[in-house]
Amino acid sequence: MKKKDLERHFEDYVINNKEPIYRLAYRYVRNVEDALDIVQESIYKGISSLESLKDINVIKTWFYRIVVNTSLDFIRKRNRETVIDGEYLFENELIDTDNYANIDLERALEKLPYSYRTIIILRYFEDLKINEIAEVLDINISTIKTRLYKGLELLKVEMNTEDRRLGNGI
Amino acid sequence: MGYNDLEKLKKDYLDTPIPNELDFVVRKVFIQERIKMKRKNNIRKTAVSAASIAVLAVGITAGVNINPVFAENLSKVPVVGEIVKVLKFKEFNVDEDGYHAEIEIPKIDGLENIELENSLNEKYLKENNELYNQFMNEIEELKKVGGGHLGVDSGYVIKTDNDEILSIGRYVVNTVGSSSTIFKYDTIDKKNEILITLPSLFKDNSYVEIISDNIKQQMIENNKLDENKTYWVEGIEGSDFGLFEAISETQNFYINEDARLVISFDKYEVAPGYMGVLEFVIPTEILSKILVSDYYIK
Repeated sequence: MKKKDLERHFEDYVINNKEPIYRLAYRYVRNVEDALDIVQESIYKGISSLESLKDINVIKTWFYRIVVNTSLDFIRKRNRETVIDGEYLFENELIDTDNYANIDLERALEKLPYSYRTIIILRYFEDLKINEIAEVLDINISTIKTRLYKGLELLKVEMNTEDRRLGNGI
Repeated sequence: MGYNDLEKLKKDYLDTPIPNELDFVVRKVFIQERIKMKRKNNIRKTAVSAASIAVLAVGITAGVNINPVFAENLSKVPVVGEIVKVLKFKEFNVDEDGYHAEIEIPKIDGLENIELENSLNEKYLKENNELYNQFMNEIEELKKVGGGHLGVDSGYVIKTDNDEILSIGRYVVNTVGSSSTIFKYDTIDKKNEILITLPSLFKDNSYVEIISDNIKQQMIENNKLDENKTYWVEGIEGSDFGLFEAISETQNFYINEDARLVISFDKYEVAPGYMGVLEFVIPTEILSKILVSDYYIK
């Protein structure tokens, strides 16, 4: 595909999928401005690395990978800063407290390491398939599965049947 | 806990409020990117002729005897027409609910080379008029989708102003939720009254690789000293997209007070947004072999 077409395609993809992209970023940073910053930064990175997109059909997993990495970079940087800034944790505690039914699970999910949390978000919230998650995170499928089950175990959530079936295949 | 709890959590996730500005922010990145590409192509066309003029001018001045003391004194005496200076020419201000703009336009004054002076001043005026109009259009667009916050700050900084060199940087800061910053520089040889371009400083194109390699080294060293300093460059953990390969032939630059070459990158150009606008001072030692002369860069 020509560079111009690729650019056009990328632009269409981002404009049509800006909401899921934003949600994913927001999930990491929990702050509108930071999430917009990540969206912006991810698009810049996307534009400048379009040549690494070998197959137009995997544009979603290719771009999610950029968004996830940009978000994690952002958090790494912020966490270094917030070690001193104790208020940040407190703020986070206050988020979504109106929804008591899910608060335990929500909290448990927030406590999971990012390597587990991302997989659960992509699998259950974004409905990505296991092999797609493997592409996003550039980790092999069996590691994704292992982390997914381990993550669910930590959350004390029972698996749905589809993933249980997949699980037998390991 | 059952799978249903995850389903509920998913519903919360999908209900994440989407800010009004999102569509705008996304589209704006692409619009700016197109403007940038267009500008790059335009610069490339004019750079070639400017380079040849500059080389010629340097050749002439080599024979001229320059008395730095005299020049220093001259610049302090207000003789009309002898002093090159930068004035604030015009200002636009917008301060509406949620929308804020401050645009300051510089004007270069005192060059005898009226053609150069006019072309620079016209460029500054045009840039800023466009910026102002674009901003007003964006406000209209944003109002249509339910409003939001939008800001633009544009102004200039004088990076260097000595006997030989005037380096003036114009910046534009766009704020839509987060902000992006763009810097552009003009460096003028005050004595010979010419605009200095990056290619005009060097004998051939090898400067691109020499400078790029040095910048990559500096990035990695900075990161080693302070892990908070990250760049999109090979050799730094976490960088895997849009890695910095090389500066463009017409990369943003200026010459600082110490007569050193400074290469500048806009926000997001080679590093995450939090790193902001970046500047790298290039050691003159590595350039000395390829410099046309040591007149500007020492």
